[in-house]
Amino acid sequence: MSEMVKKTLRYAASFFLIVTLNFAFPRLMPGDPVKNLIGEDVYVSEAVMEELRAEMGLNRPLYEQFTAYIGDLLRFDLGYSYHLHSPVAEVLRERIGWTLLFVGVSVLMGAVLGTLLGAYAGWKPETKVNRLVCCGFIALSCTPPYFLALLCLDIFAFELGLFPFKGFYDVPTPGSVMYHMFLPVTVMALFSASRNFLIMRGSVIQEKGQLYALYARAKGLYNISILFRHVIKNASLPIITLLALDFGFLFSGALFTEIVFSLNGMGTLIYDAIIGKDYPVLQGSFLVIALAVLLANMLADLLYAVADPRVRRPT
Amino acid sequence: MMQKEVYIQESVRQWKDIIAHHLNLDIRKYERTLNKFNRGGLFLFAFFLILALFPSLFAPYSPTERFISYESPSTAHLLGTNDIGNDILSELIYGARISMMVGFASASISTLIGLMIGLCSGYFRGTPDELLMGFTDVVLTIPKIPLIIIIGAFLHPSILTLILVLGLLSWESIARVVRSKTLQIREAGYVKSARCMGFSSFHIMASDIFPNLIHILLPKFMLATASAMISEASLSFLGLGDISMKSWGIMLSFAFSRGGFIRDMWWWYLPPGICITLCVMSIALIGFGFEGGKENEKRGVDTE
Repeated sequence: MSEMVKKTLRYAASFFLIVTLNFAFPRLMPGDPVKNLIGEDVYVSEAVMEELRAEMGLNRPLYEQFTAYIGDLLRFDLGYSYHLHSPVAEVLRERIGWTLLFVGVSVLMGAVLGTLLGAYAGWKPETKVNRLVCCGFIALSCTPPYFLALLCLDIFAFELGLFPFKGFYDVPTPGSVMYHMFLPVTVMALFSASRNFLIMRGSVIQEKGQLYALYARAKGLYNISILFRHVIKNASLPIITLLALDFGFLFSGALFTEIVFSLNGMGTLIYDAIIGKDYPVLQGSFLVIALAVLLANMLADLLYAVADPRVRRPT
Repeated sequence: MMQKEVYIQESVRQWKDIIAHHLNLDIRKYERTLNKFNRGGLFLFAFFLILALFPSLFAPYSPTERFISYESPSTAHLLGTNDIGNDILSELIYGARISMMVGFASASISTLIGLMIGLCSGYFRGTPDELLMGFTDVVLTIPKIPLIIIIGAFLHPSILTLILVLGLLSWESIARVVRSKTLQIREAGYVKSARCMGFSSFHIMASDIFPNLIHILLPKFMLATASAMISEASLSFLGLGDISMKSWGIMLSFAFSRGGFIRDMWWWYLPPGICITLCVMSIALIGFGFEGGKENEKRGVDTE
């Protein structure tokens, strides 16, 4: 029970830290806070600037500003993007669905692919094929995701012309969406699989030396059923933790992949925001991504409890 | 003559024994764990290190010298020239230093922070441990690259901020590993006797515990370097790098944004990408090699 309290406390602290960071950035960073809050490319006169300063309450004490900021957050008001001429929350709502779909599908595919291949490679680490696969995955995990995306785009879309270059769909039908998403999802799934693969391989190598695996063999089980019925359960525990910790990393990888494939999601939004110095959008995106990662971590904790009864049972 | 040869052979073996005895490492075992893989990694790493240390020996031109732009590879320019006419091969060679410097500098910072936090929380236990590990867990859940993006966008890009931000944000996993190892070591006899003799905590941490952490810090340091290099390349790709110091990431980003990709100039965008991958891989392989060696030993003990 106290573990639960501790976990909850930690999540609350992370949440608070994320919100505070988001609040503090425009006010602490060098430069005029008004400029930092509305974005650098926006040209406004001095009078308007003063007006904005008063409106945003930047001359009030910090704690008042902070409570006002929290109030805004609770009303899903993330500020106004002068660059895109619309509220940030609305812009994000349009984009986040696609990105979440993209990341979710590729993380799941990567997890399944990485776990299965990793388990097999760990079971027989000495065969030539498995060594080769292992080398391949190490190389994949060392490639920056956007470079991989660039290569795939170049080979499959430009040279071979098998896949479209950009966008989520031509016509909004599931078939078209799948056709457009195939290449980016493959890239991200491979990238995510490479990380899971290495962990799973090591984990299986360790687990198969345990006594229960020996016992299962002594009972006369086949190799395959020892691996898939006994070893894989224990070996996949680190994967769950890794999935949660990696979610943020993969999310950012997905942002880069989106930029390369010109998918109209969060990645391109952030890219444009960086070029246009559109700080409200950047902040809003950071907040949303951080919260998504936090949620993924919580989910992984729950999953962990389901998968490993030792966590549930108080000792 | 015969006698002498035997003597020499004998002395070599003696030396090996003496070295093995004093450095506490079994050379034959070391040679075995240093399989083909890691030798490849070491070789590649040495190659990149030499490139980074002495770029002027290898680069045919200065990276800022300008020729005709958008040239395809020829004998004069092995990898052609880019949009403002710089020789891409020279740029590539000079980029090694910058990419590796960012990686190693930020990995040093993060290793140092991780070491200090992990040591303190593992050694003192109790409340400091709870607090520090709680803090570590909190920092761990914050996604790094989006945070770096937002900080990088507010601050004007320079190589120093990049190093600092990358270094200050990636110490958590090191801190956790160091903590768990410290928790083991602090129960060892020599630490207890040092405490009984009244040495200060700092002295015990520095001279009794720290030397035993090196073999887990080294692989972690290598892996941190590898991931810092990838992060640097990714951030440069977004235009958050230091444009005055052309790293491989910035070359790749320029190739993408300034027409190298559209014009299908593979000699512009492939080499920096391949260099990043190979260099990161060599560093990561060295790291894996250290880790793998240790794991093998531990497993050997467990099964016996």
